[in-house]
Amino acid sequence: MTSLNHETVNGALVLKPSRRIDSSSAKAFEDDASALLDKGPKKVVIDATDLDYISSAGLRVILTTAKKAKTAGGGLTIACAKNNVKEVLAVSGFDNIFGLHDSVAQAISSLA
Amino acid sequence: MSADPGIEGAAGPEGRLAALEDELASVKAELEDINLLYQATIEHGEAVEDQLAEANLALQVTQKRLSEELTEAANYIFSILPEPRKETPRTEWLLVPSTELGGDSFGYHEIDGDHIAFYLLDVCGHGVGAALLSVTAINVLRSAALPNTDFRDPGAVLSALNEAFPMERQNNMYFTIWYGVLKRSTGELRYASGGHPPSVLRKADGSVVTLSTPGIAIGMLEAMSYRAAQCAIGEGDRLHIVSDGTFEVETAPGEMLEFPVFVERLARSASPDEVLDWVRGLNGPGPLPDDFSLLNIQF
Repeated sequence: MTSLNHETVNGALVLKPSRRIDSSSAKAFEDDASALLDKGPKKVVIDATDLDYISSAGLRVILTTAKKAKTAGGGLTIACAKNNVKEVLAVSGFDNIFGLHDSVAQAISSLA
Repeated sequence: MSADPGIEGAAGPEGRLAALEDELASVKAELEDINLLYQATIEHGEAVEDQLAEANLALQVTQKRLSEELTEAANYIFSILPEPRKETPRTEWLLVPSTELGGDSFGYHEIDGDHIAFYLLDVCGHGVGAALLSVTAINVLRSAALPNTDFRDPGAVLSALNEAFPMERQNNMYFTIWYGVLKRSTGELRYASGGHPPSVLRKADGSVVTLSTPGIAIGMLEAMSYRAAQCAIGEGDRLHIVSDGTFEVETAPGEMLEFPVFVERLARSASPDEVLDWVRGLNGPGPLPDDFSLLNIQF
């Protein structure tokens, strides 16, 4: 059982983490995302609508999830990040590498 | 069944007495057995207690040894951090690991008569693993030990570090870094960062600018190229290089300290200790959640 909110839209796995991904929740996110990816989807969208904060431990698990998706022949991108989460993604350079989108639909089509 | 006086009732008083005596004997024997078992259990319990005490002692010895070794490792890390520079550009710094061993380290050194490098790096996570990668990387920078790399070019240095330390070959660890080089004859500062918070430059006239470039952390992805940016440094300017642990604290449940607020406070601080006190005050009791590192450079 995964506690991570998720749905599959047009073949893409949309992960919707709540509140925070920090050192105490990062491992659970990584395990859940990994288990969901094992079921077959290759494209991953992080829907950051409900995300208030992401720490460096959180960035790390986004990266490992992205690498797993890439190894499977797909990719990862990020949608609907709030300003303070956007700032962290900008400082880490993740905005350039993975892309930021204003909607989940846009994010999914960017991975097509 | 015939010996049971309660049911038969016909064996007469003597028969019943004999039967009761038999029963008493068997109860006594049972008691004896239970006593023996009890004794054995007590003895066994004492033996287990002895073993526990012995194991406890061994554990204490091991724990003491481990803690001494960790202290030794922490001493090593602090021993490779440079002395504060007394001549211009002057430096002062503060590094407070959140656990005994942290992933932050920094340094500065003169590359040649005209160029001086300043750098601070932050390995993801804490503990022995992070500390090992941290000192390895800082020693590589200190000794300019990257092939065919011009250490006066921050972009080239970060690109070469990224080639040298891919996370897949570093137990999945990577690090963020800020690296700058001052050309003293012209006052030009060239800098590049990889996934690292901006450095804060407070100009002599009181204006404040943040310095960063858009690269990602070193070792995350192969074949990244890092580009340097530059700015002019004048006499009286002050540069603050930090790690994210220096400002990533909760000011209230669910409320993180905002970077611009930190920058404003940092720019008007008199010393690293003052900033640490302020951040600790915001964080509340207990250790900070991450390593606190602050390197001030006064030009």
